[in-house]
Amino acid sequence: MTNILLLEDLPEIRAWMRSLVERVFPGCQVSEAARVHDAIELVSALRFDLALVDLGLPDGSGVDVVAKLRDVQPEAQCVVVTIHDDDEHLFPALQAGAFGYILKEQPRELIAEQLQRISQGEPPLSPSIARRVMAHFSAKNKPLAPSLLPNVSLTDRESEVLLRVAKGYTLPEIGVQLGLSRHTIADYVKQIYRKLNVSSRAEAALEAQRLGLFSR
Amino acid sequence: MFALLWALGGHALAATQTLDQAWVVAGEGDRFPTDRTPLLRALPDDWADWRGNDGGPLWYRLRFDLTQPGPGLMALYMARVCGRYLLQLNGQLVHRAGGDGVQLCNRPQLVTLPGTMLQPGTNTLDLRVDGEPLSQVASRLHSGGLSAIEIGPLATLTRRHAGASALQIDAPQAVSATLALMGCFMFVLGWRHRRESYLAYFGALSVGWALVEARRWLPELPWPPAVAEFLQAALLAFVTLAAVQFLLRYANCRIGWVSQALAAQCVVMPASLVLAGAPWLHGVVMIWLYLFALQIGAAAWVHLRLRRRAQGRWPVPAALLLCLGGAALLVELVARHWALPAVLVHLARLQVPLALLVVGLRLVQKHGQALQAAEASRANLEVRVREATAEIERNFRQLAELRVEQVTERERKRIAADLHDDLGAKLLTIVHTSDDPRISTLARESLEEMRLSVRGLTGKPVRLGDALGDWRAELMSRLTQSGIEGEWSSPDDLPQTLSARAYVQTTRILREATNNIVKHSGASQCTFTCAIAEGDLQLTIQDNGAGIPLELDGRLDRGHGMSSMKHRAKQMQGQCLVESGPGYGTVIRLTLPLDRATLPTP
Repeated sequence: MTNILLLEDLPEIRAWMRSLVERVFPGCQVSEAARVHDAIELVSALRFDLALVDLGLPDGSGVDVVAKLRDVQPEAQCVVVTIHDDDEHLFPALQAGAFGYILKEQPRELIAEQLQRISQGEPPLSPSIARRVMAHFSAKNKPLAPSLLPNVSLTDRESEVLLRVAKGYTLPEIGVQLGLSRHTIADYVKQIYRKLNVSSRAEAALEAQRLGLFSR
Repeated sequence: MFALLWALGGHALAATQTLDQAWVVAGEGDRFPTDRTPLLRALPDDWADWRGNDGGPLWYRLRFDLTQPGPGLMALYMARVCGRYLLQLNGQLVHRAGGDGVQLCNRPQLVTLPGTMLQPGTNTLDLRVDGEPLSQVASRLHSGGLSAIEIGPLATLTRRHAGASALQIDAPQAVSATLALMGCFMFVLGWRHRRESYLAYFGALSVGWALVEARRWLPELPWPPAVAEFLQAALLAFVTLAAVQFLLRYANCRIGWVSQALAAQCVVMPASLVLAGAPWLHGVVMIWLYLFALQIGAAAWVHLRLRRRAQGRWPVPAALLLCLGGAALLVELVARHWALPAVLVHLARLQVPLALLVVGLRLVQKHGQALQAAEASRANLEVRVREATAEIERNFRQLAELRVEQVTERERKRIAADLHDDLGAKLLTIVHTSDDPRISTLARESLEEMRLSVRGLTGKPVRLGDALGDWRAELMSRLTQSGIEGEWSSPDDLPQTLSARAYVQTTRILREATNNIVKHSGASQCTFTCAIAEGDLQLTIQDNGAGIPLELDGRLDRGHGMSSMKHRAKQMQGQCLVESGPGYGTVIRLTLPLDRATLPTP
C-alpha cells in the first residue's frame, strides 16, 4: 500500500499524472492538492510514502511543501515534477530535501521509468545541478566548519562522481569509468542529495542562530 | 640730491657780491618814500618776524659798488621775493613782476641789469614788495619777505637760478605730475576692485598731494592769493582723510565712526576757515594742521601695530617709509612757523611725494602679484571643477548602466515567468492531452524551444566547459535511448565562455542534428568531436547512416532542418557545412567564432 501526494495546479495535468502514478504504482492511494496551503494540510494529516510536487503554484512555491514534508515525514520520498529544467528553480527544492526531479513534458513512458527509478533509489542528476552542488560544497566562505559536521562534506568518490556528471557523462558511463556497479553509483548520488539537504539545513540553522545572536 | 646741494653750495662765487642789508620803509607810492625814516634791516627779511598783522607794500633800498664792471651782462638774483614787486635801478624802472594770482614766493628771480643804467661806483636799488602778512596765509613761506640779493655776471647767476629752479620748481613739478598720474590709475584700480578699497584711498591721497604741490610750481593761479590759501588748506583736510583711510584699510581695519568723522572734518575745516576770516587764517590753519598730523600719526601707529599682529613681526620697510614721511611733514609744519634753512625745507618737501611714489609702485606690484595668484588659483579651481564634473558624470553613467541592467534583469525574469506559467502550462496540457502523437511531439518541442528562449533571455554567459557538459549529457542520452552508439570527444579545461544567445543557438543546432540522425539517418554510430582552433569553436557530428538523399540536399530539406541550422550558424557569424553522400553517412561541421569579448581576460 503506497500513499502518494500529488500537488499540481493544472487539472488536466493532475488527472494525467494521477493515471500515470496509478499505473506505475498499482493499488496506490493518491491524495490530490492544487495549492500549497492544501498540500501542507494534507501533510499534517496523512502519512505519505511518495510526494510529487510542482514548484510554481498559485499561492506559493512547492519548495515550502518539500521542506514541510522533510520536517514532519523525513522518510517520505519527495520528487519535484516541474516544467522548469534550470538549476535556479530546481536547486532550492533539492536543498529543501527533494529527492530528484522530473520534467513534466517528457513522454509518458520516460516519466514512468524515471518515477520507477527514483522510487528504487536512483535519482537523476543533470550536469547543471551537479555544478551547483559542487559550488555549494566548495564555497570557501561557509560559516560551517566541516569538522563540526563530518558527514556533511563530500567524500572524494562523491566529488569524483559529481565532477563527471558535470562534464556530461551519464551515470552508467561513470560506473564503467570508475569500475563501479550501477547500484553503487546510484548510492553515491543518493548520498549527494542527502548531504546537500543536511548541509543546507545546517547552514540555515547556523544562519538563523547567527541572526538571532545579532538581533539579541 | 647731493649734486643739487653741491651746486647750491657754490654760494660765494668770486664774481658775485651779496647784498645782505637794506633800508626798509613802508610806502604805497611809485618812489622810495623819503618822508619817513627808513630802518636798516638784515636780509633775508621775513615779514613774519616783525610785521605781525601789518600788510601793505614795503620799500627796500640797497646800495652796491660796481668797482670793475665785467665784460658781459650784469644781473640781479633773488632767491626769494614773496609778493608783487617793482625794481628800480638808480631811480629807473628795471622790472615789475606779479599781480593777482601770480605765484612768486617759491620762484627764484633773475633780473638782468641793463649796462647803460649801471653807474661806475655806487648804485642804488629800490625794491617795492607787496606781499601778504603771516596772519593771512597758511604758511610762513607764503608771507611777504625778501632774501639776500646777489649781483654779478648774468652767466654765473643764470646757473644759480637754474639750480634753484630745478630744486624748487622743476623737480616738484615732475614728481607731482607722476604722482597725479599714478594716483588716478590707482584710484580707478581701487574703484574697480572694491575689496582693495585702500588702493582707491591711496590714489586719492596721491592726487590730493599732487594738487597741494601744484601751488609750488604753477606760475599762475586763476584766483587771488587769499582764495589759493583757503583752497590749499581745505585740500589738506581731504588729503588727511585719504591718508588715514588708506593706512587703516590697508591694515584691514574699518571703523565706521572714523570714516564719518573724517568726512565731517572735510566740511568743518573749510567752514571754520571761512568763519575765522582772513586775519585769523594762519592760526586756525595751524591748529588744524597739527590736528591732521596727529590723526595721520595715530593712523600710522595703528597701521603698524595691526600689520605686526597679522604678520607676527614689524613691517620694517613700511615703518621706515612712514618715519621718513613723518619727518618731512614735521619739517614742513615747523617751517610754517619758524625760519628754517631753505634747502632743508625744499628737500623735505620733495620727500613726501617721493615716498608716496615708492609706496604706490609697491602697491601696484603687490596688486599684480595678487592678480597672478588669483588667476593661478582660478585655473586650479577650474581644473578641479572639471575633474569633479567628470567624476560625477562617470558615476552617473555607471548608476544609469546599473539601473538599466537591473531593470532589464527584472523584465527578463518577468517575461520568463510569464512564458513558463502561461505558454508553458498550455503547451504542457497539449503534450499530455493530445491523442495525435505528432501534435504532442510538436508541443513538446515547442516547450523545449520556449525554455531555451527563456534561457537566452536571462542573458548570463555560459562557460564553454559547462555548455559541453550539458550538450554531452543531452545528446548522448538521446542517442542511447534510440539505440545508437554515441562517442564524444572534447578537450578538458576550456576557459572560454559563450554568450547566452550563442549557447541557445548552438543547442538548437545540435538538437536538430541529433534529431536528424535519430529519425532519418538509420545510423548505428555517431561521433561528436569538439575542438578549439584559431579562436573558433569547431563541432563535428559524423554518423555512419544513409546520408542525405540527393534530391533533398539541393532543394527540399525541410524535414532535415538543414537550412535552419545554416541560418542559425550564420546568425552567430559562423558556418555550418554538411557533407553527405549516399552510403557514406553525413558529416556536419559547425564553426563558430568565439567572441573576443567573451574570452576571459588573463
